Amino acid sequence: MMVKKKKLSKIFDYFRDEDPFAGGISICSGCPMELLLRFMSKVLGKDIIIVGTPSCSAIVLYGQNIGSWHKLSYYGCLMTGVASSATGITRYYRKIGKDVTVVCFTGDGCAADVGFQPLSGAAERNENFIYICYDNEGYMNTGVQRSSTTPFGAKTSTTPIGVARRGNETTGKNLPFIIAMHKVSYAATATLSHLEDLAKKLIKAKEKKNEGFAYIHVFSPCPTGWGFPMDLSIEVCRMAVRTNYFPLWEAERGKFRLTHKIKKSRPLKDLVRMIRKFSHLTDEEMGMLEKEVHERYRLIEGVTQMMPLKETP
Amino acid sequence: MNMKYKGEMRTITGNAAAAYGAMLCRPDVVALYPITPQTEVVEQLSRFSADGLLDAEMVEVEGENSAMNIVAAAAISGGRVFTASSSWGLAFMYDALLQTSGFRAPVVMVNVNREMPGILAVSTGQQDMIGTRDVGWIQIIAEDCQEILDLVIMAYRLAEDFDIQVPVMVNYDGFYLSYLSEGVNIPAREEVDVFLAPLKEQPERPKLVPGGPLGCGTHGIEKGFVELRYKHCAAMERAKNKFDEIDRLFGESFERSYGGQIEEYYMEDAEIALLASGSASGTVKKVIDSKRKHGLKIGLVKLRMFRPFPSERLSRAFRGKKAIGVIDRSICFGWDCGPIYMELRALSSEIGLIPMMSFIDGLANMDISIVHIERMIDSVYAASQGKPYQRVNWVILEE
Repeated sequence: MMVKKKKLSKIFDYFRDEDPFAGGISICSGCPMELLLRFMSKVLGKDIIIVGTPSCSAIVLYGQNIGSWHKLSYYGCLMTGVASSATGITRYYRKIGKDVTVVCFTGDGCAADVGFQPLSGAAERNENFIYICYDNEGYMNTGVQRSSTTPFGAKTSTTPIGVARRGNETTGKNLPFIIAMHKVSYAATATLSHLEDLAKKLIKAKEKKNEGFAYIHVFSPCPTGWGFPMDLSIEVCRMAVRTNYFPLWEAERGKFRLTHKIKKSRPLKDLVRMIRKFSHLTDEEMGMLEKEVHERYRLIEGVTQMMPLKETP
Repeated sequence: MNMKYKGEMRTITGNAAAAYGAMLCRPDVVALYPITPQTEVVEQLSRFSADGLLDAEMVEVEGENSAMNIVAAAAISGGRVFTASSSWGLAFMYDALLQTSGFRAPVVMVNVNREMPGILAVSTGQQDMIGTRDVGWIQIIAEDCQEILDLVIMAYRLAEDFDIQVPVMVNYDGFYLSYLSEGVNIPAREEVDVFLAPLKEQPERPKLVPGGPLGCGTHGIEKGFVELRYKHCAAMERAKNKFDEIDRLFGESFERSYGGQIEEYYMEDAEIALLASGSASGTVKKVIDSKRKHGLKIGLVKLRMFRPFPSERLSRAFRGKKAIGVIDRSICFGWDCGPIYMELRALSSEIGLIPMMSFIDGLANMDISIVHIERMIDSVYAASQGKPYQRVNWVILEE
C-alpha cells in the first residue's frame, strides 16, 4: 500500500540552521511576535543589524547588563529614533562601500505614533533598509493602551467600556497603505498564519532594500492584550486574512498587488467573536467596524486594479 | 615639528566658519536641518557637497531629533559625523542627546546659541546650552569666528579620543557671531589631516558591525548601569586636561592657541575679575584695556569649556582676588541668578569667601555693551572695597 506523504512546506528549510536566540527565552505564551522575530532572523540571515526600541520585542532583543539573549548585532534606541538610527547606520556603511542589511523591528506604537515622523522621513528619502512593524494594535508592553492603529470599538486600558464612553472612538491609521503611498521601493502586509507569503516578502524586502526603503507590516495579534486563548494566535491571524480584516498585499513604487486573494470572504463576526476586546460591541458598533474593514478592503482592491503590480516570477 | 603654517585668509561669517571647520575634518555622515540662526551652516555644507569639496553622506532629515539619531548611529558604526542646530532644535533632540552621550558616541555638533523659552525669542542667549548642561555632553564656547572654526577641528580631536569618547557641542552666539563676517584663517585640508592623524593611531573603538554580537543600548541596570555612569563621568573629568593639551597642540600646528578650558586675560596681578563667555568676552577685553590704563587692576576669565566645568583652573585663577563678577546670558530658573554664577559659587570654599556678583545681561539680543560692562566693573570694584553690594543684578532693568 502506498503511503501518501504530504510534502513539507519550504519554510521548514529555514529552521534547519542554528537559532541565533538563546533557548528558554520567551515572551507571553502564544505571542506571534516572538515567532516573527525568530522567523525573520532565519530568513534574512545572521549578517543583519537589528534596530529596535523599548517594546514587547525589547524583552528579547535587549540584553541584560553585559549579557545577551541572541547572537545578532543589535542597536537599541528610543522609540523616536528607530528609522533615523537605521538611516545613520545604513548611510555610514554606504559611505565606506559595504553592503549591509539593517532591519528595524518595532511595534505599531513606534511606527504609527511616536516614531512616525522619522519613519515617514526615511520612507520619503527612500533609505536603503528594511522596516518591519509588528502590529498588535496598541501599546501592549506597557499594559494594553490605545495606539493609532487600534481599531474602532476596541477595548483597551485607555479606552475602557463605561456608560459615557465605549471603547476606541477612531478608526485607526492605515499605516501600511500610508507608507506604500510614499512610493517606497517595497511595502507589504503579512501575517504569521501565512509563513510562505511572509518568507517571500522578507526575501523580496532584502533585495528591494538595495533600491530603497522596504516596509513590511505584520499583523500580530496579542493573546494577553486582546483576550483570546494562547493556542489560537495563528487562527486569529488566519481569520483576519479570511475576513479581509487584514488583506495581504505588496506594493512597489506605488503599484499594488494582492498576494493572497480571498475568493469568498468570511463574515467579520467570525473574527470578532474570537477576541474579547470586541466582546461588548453592539450591532450598531459592529456595523461601524464592518464599514471600516470593508472600506479598507475596497481601497486596496481598487488600487490593485488602478495601479497594478505584475507578479514577479 | 613646527611646520610652517600657511592657511588662507577669507572674510566669512561665523556660520560659514563652522561649516569650513566641519568640512576640513572630512566627516562621513552629515545630518542637515535648518533653523534660525544656524541655517547657513547646513546651506554652506550642502554647497561644499555640491562642489565636490565634501565627500560625505548628506542626510536632509525631517527634524532635529532624527538628525541627532542619525549621527549617533553612524558614529557608533564607526563614522565621523557632524550636525548643527540651535535652541528649539536642540530641545527637540533632547532624548537623542542623552542617548548619544549614554552610548559614548563621539558626535561633534554645533549649537548656535539662541534664546528660549519664548516662541518669538528669535535672538541670542545661552539658554539652550544651559538647558542641556546635564545631558552628558562636553560643551565648549567660542568667542569669535576664527575660534568657531578652530574649536570644531579641536572638537573632533577631543570627542574621538580613545580616552574620552564623549560627544562635543561647540557653542557660539547666534546673530552676534552666526551672521558676523570676520577675517578667518582657513587651514589647508592637509594640515587638518595631519592634526587629526593621531586619532588613527589609537586603539579602535567598539563598533556596530553586521554579524557581530554587539548590543548597543542594552538594559544596563543596577551595577552595570552604575559602572557605565561612573566611566562616563571619569571620561568627562579626563576631558578637561585633554582639552588643554589639544589646545596646546593646535597652537603648535596652527599658531593659534586659546588657553584650553579657560582663557585668562590680565589675571596674574588682577585684584578684581570678571568671568564671561562667548562673544561678549571680546567687549569685556576692550573695557579692561581702558580700565587698566586708568590703573585699575582688573582681569577677565573667559569660560571656554562649560561642561565639564573647569573647577580646578577656575579656582586657581580666582584665588586671592578681592571680588568677582560673573556675566550670564541666561537664567538659572529656580535660583535667582545666572547659571555660570551659580556654578562658580560652588567653588566658594576653594576661591575664598569674597564678594561674588551675578550680572544677568544680553538676554534676547540685548547688547552686553561697553557702558554695561563699565557699570559691572564699578560695582565689583566697590564690593572689593568692602562697600555693600547687590548680589544679583539684572543690568538692563537697572538703567
